[in-house]
Amino acid sequence: MNTGAWGGWQAFSDAARSYLDGFASASPPNAAQQFSDFLREQFERAPQPWGGAHAAPSAMPFPGALPEAPAFGATREHQQRAQRIAEAALRMDAAQRRLQRLWSDVLREAAAKFVSQLAPTPSHAATPEVLRKLYDTWIDCAEDAYARVAHGDAFSQAQADFANAASQWRLEQQANLEHWSKFLDLPMRSEINSLTRRLRAVEEQLRTRTQPTGRSSAKPRSASTSRAKAKKKRT
Amino acid sequence: MTGCSPREAIWQSGKLTLYRYRPITAGNGGVPLLIVYALVNRPYMMDLKEDRSLIRGLLSSGREVYLIDWGYPDGSDRFTTLADYIDRLLAECVAKVLKAHRVPALNLLGVCQGGVLSLCYSALHPQQVRNLITMVTPVDFHTSSDLLSKWVRHIDVGTFVADGNVSGEILNQLFLALMPFRLTQHKYVELMSAAPDAAQLKDFLRVEQWIFDSPDQAGAAFREFVTWLYQENRLIRQQLEIGGRKVDLRELRMPILNLIGKRDHLVPPAASRALGSAAASRDYTALELDLGHIGMYISARAQREVPAAIIDWLAAR
Repeated sequence: MNTGAWGGWQAFSDAARSYLDGFASASPPNAAQQFSDFLREQFERAPQPWGGAHAAPSAMPFPGALPEAPAFGATREHQQRAQRIAEAALRMDAAQRRLQRLWSDVLREAAAKFVSQLAPTPSHAATPEVLRKLYDTWIDCAEDAYARVAHGDAFSQAQADFANAASQWRLEQQANLEHWSKFLDLPMRSEINSLTRRLRAVEEQLRTRTQPTGRSSAKPRSASTSRAKAKKKRT
Repeated sequence: MTGCSPREAIWQSGKLTLYRYRPITAGNGGVPLLIVYALVNRPYMMDLKEDRSLIRGLLSSGREVYLIDWGYPDGSDRFTTLADYIDRLLAECVAKVLKAHRVPALNLLGVCQGGVLSLCYSALHPQQVRNLITMVTPVDFHTSSDLLSKWVRHIDVGTFVADGNVSGEILNQLFLALMPFRLTQHKYVELMSAAPDAAQLKDFLRVEQWIFDSPDQAGAAFREFVTWLYQENRLIRQQLEIGGRKVDLRELRMPILNLIGKRDHLVPPAASRALGSAAASRDYTALELDLGHIGMYISARAQREVPAAIIDWLAAR
């Protein structure tokens, strides 16, 4: 049995029961707030596909690559790379949790605004048009709430932190693959890049030799000035 | 998908193709118009179908129309810089058109990011640009409503790009994230809840295909574009250099028409309006339409108003 999943279900069940009890005892706003806070916390803790903090030890391809372990000896470089990969995964995880929390805020604000805009509708009036209008209202509320959060520093920073950590993780993995490609004598990206650079340099030399003299060094002169001068000449 | 109007390739270099559109009415022998599209999407949006084509609208006035298709960069283009795009490729395209028509200057129409490239080119080579038209083009990248700019300001672009290209798919996710509820849910619900109409469905699918037909971006040019423009806002600060030469917007003395989408979520109106005070042109016209970024290309209103506005404006110059 997965005790993590069971524990999560137990916590959800307790929180939901507490919400329903609160609703029944005529204190719905408090109950709703508590339940909403609970969901927000759970959303933030939801596991990530790349493992993050939960899977950090297995994400380390080198034994003993705990982030704080000192690196030494012949395998020092590999250990350090493994540590950097693990550290990047942890940073991705932390940034994603901050983003999830902010998304949770968006949905909560959107829901509150949506509810405040609802007008009582008789049940017989639930036509497709009415439902469609409700849906449009929800989208407006959600986009408004999202815009407020997405324009904030916290969202921009969390998103950038995630992108930066993911970029670092990718770079370290590339370096790892390059190492093994070299070991197996397979062509590497860095070799192809080096050839591409050399080819560009040759092309540039060729262009410089075949380019009419003085083309790129011509002093800028505006077309309107040219036209004015031409006009003057004609008159 | 390539667009609906007949055209011929008149020059190719690497992934770039320069097209000349075949006239659909008798020509007026005027100055040719070169359209510079963005690097981040495909240019067939300008010529989606007969009744949704800015290019067709321009051709109907008898003008000679050319278009730069930047193509799909691959791994061999990863070190292509902004200077390559502007000073080499765009410059070659301009030279080809000028030579074909034996004129000293042409009309340049820059769209979105292509507008930025056009502004740079026009400032560096003002003698070759008779009239400049910019469409949904950012000039000030640090306006308060520019969400994209806020997001990328803290990104370590050097690490993000490294030595590679930037995936078009990642950029698509970024663009969708600007308005996630509308762009990933609402528009599909709208489609499903509308009365069945085969023609409308085809139109929707054409636009949908275009939206997600995003070329990868040459890494070096992307890094420069994001760092210099989105993060450091060098264009409006007159601090941008391309190929070692300063891009001074005060060199823009030619007539300018600036087309702005009032509801543009990608390039906020304020980002485009900034051109008015930055350029030195005494013949500057800003035309603001109540349209979004994509609506500027394909909406029925855009079809009625945009080509006509460009044609009338050019005719008066």
